[in-house]
Amino acid sequence: MSVQAAPTVDQWNAEAFNSYVKQLGEPEWLVDLRQNAFEAFEEMGWPTRKEEEWMRTDIRGFNLKKFDPPKLDEVVDAASLPSGVLAEGVDIGGQVISLNGRTGRSTVSEELEAKGVIFGDFATVLAEHGDLVKKYLFQGEFDPNFDKFSALHAAFFSGGAFLYVPRNVVVEQPLHVLNLIGDNGVDLAHTLIVLEEGAQATVLTESASLDDDQPGFHCGAIEVVVGDRANLRFVNLQNWGHKVWHFGQQKGSVGRDGNLFWTLGALGSRLSKVNQHVALDGPGAHCEVNGVLFTEGKQHLSYHTQQYHRAPNCTSNFLYKAALQDHSRTVWRGMIKVAPGAQKTDGYQRIDNLLLTEHSRADSIPGLEIEADDVRCTHGATTGRVDEEQIFYAMARGFTRKEAMRMIVIGFFQQVFDRITLESVREALGHAIARRVREYE
Amino acid sequence: MSEFVRVAALSEIPDPGKNVYEVDDRFVIVIHAGGQVYCLDDVCTHDDGPLGEGDLEGYEIECPRHGAKFDIRTGKPTLMPATQPTQVHEAKIEGDSIFVRLVD
Repeated sequence: MSVQAAPTVDQWNAEAFNSYVKQLGEPEWLVDLRQNAFEAFEEMGWPTRKEEEWMRTDIRGFNLKKFDPPKLDEVVDAASLPSGVLAEGVDIGGQVISLNGRTGRSTVSEELEAKGVIFGDFATVLAEHGDLVKKYLFQGEFDPNFDKFSALHAAFFSGGAFLYVPRNVVVEQPLHVLNLIGDNGVDLAHTLIVLEEGAQATVLTESASLDDDQPGFHCGAIEVVVGDRANLRFVNLQNWGHKVWHFGQQKGSVGRDGNLFWTLGALGSRLSKVNQHVALDGPGAHCEVNGVLFTEGKQHLSYHTQQYHRAPNCTSNFLYKAALQDHSRTVWRGMIKVAPGAQKTDGYQRIDNLLLTEHSRADSIPGLEIEADDVRCTHGATTGRVDEEQIFYAMARGFTRKEAMRMIVIGFFQQVFDRITLESVREALGHAIARRVREYE
Repeated sequence: MSEFVRVAALSEIPDPGKNVYEVDDRFVIVIHAGGQVYCLDDVCTHDDGPLGEGDLEGYEIECPRHGAKFDIRTGKPTLMPATQPTQVHEAKIEGDSIFVRLVD
């Protein structure tokens, strides 16, 4: 039998694409972008394990034939949708919720609108502020030609959210985006966040399945543009059901003296392959990334990060923690790149892996590409098992084995939790992890 | 434990020979050698290499990436750089068909 996905699939071929684009009724410039991406998608082969990028991530089990592009005529009943976990108890300034790429809810407070903040589902913002979308869409770090999945996304994307914060505007209330997948659903959401010079905002994004036992396909992208002196706190929680294929391009850029604080939680999906890149484009730019990965069953999460110092005097600090149960796998490839002239760079990246079972496996490959000669770049990776003596110590003081294990796992993640300033995010991640910890002998 | 699943006709795989099949969302190598059939994960435990694309020599299969070798009967590594066994599964011949039962 063949073990390669077919190069072209009926539901995603040229005829289907043309029909899809026609239904969208978008401006010509965007149709051209989609057309170029579709041609790239058609030309490119599916990734194979012969490529360095994919050598530890086997996607032979993925078959695009099993999924259809989003149905644009599908009406979503907003009242029936869950509201996610990140915004619980949080006074939010706006919310976008989608199901299978179709918007169910899109709100933004009048107070923010009065300040000139633009926030909403992609289609609505495109209709009302087309020129602004055109100025930023695909213009930053996101590259539709990166691989076949990014090209597929750029050609067919639907749903997602757009945020624009004008110069020096401070948005106090967090904005919330929730992407949902239903039975055999497809999510091709594109999230675009733009903060002009001196602006400030907090954005909480998350993804979930309506039913954890149903298959699904996410092929998405996040574009983050942090202007000079702007500050963005960004949270992205991937919480799909365990039969969802997740392919993501998450790209950010930070301008002069800007700050990007990015918290990433990866708990769900059957298989994830994510490229998370941040470019430090202006002198004094700073980026801090906190990553939490928790896996179980036969999950495979592959995260490829890059912190790209293009300007002098920038700092980047990427800290990831992964805990693995059962037969699950994580792959983490981290790269610090320093461009010529990016002197006085301070780049740090680290991943710690905690193996909770004998058959789990974590591959960590930190890397450096330095083309300047006055830099400090630090990277490292650790992998270890739970210390039985710690378990014994806790049990000797009245804890059950499961309680002891949970305490140790939460303690393992504490270093990352301490760096997360949003209480709702800390609690959501903590609860989600604690719920998943099982007892091991 | 799962049930035995028919993966191929015996005539599909010469003796000696091998092929890769997807069984219950898992890719496995089915090997026909010495009149018997064997089944193991299509994964080299050293570096996730595509073991099924490697050369078969007697009862050993060699990973094409770095040359690690495994005993097809036990899954145990017989040559570095692999040090951990790859999972073996049950395989049998019934009539003119090959059946496989996944372990775990």
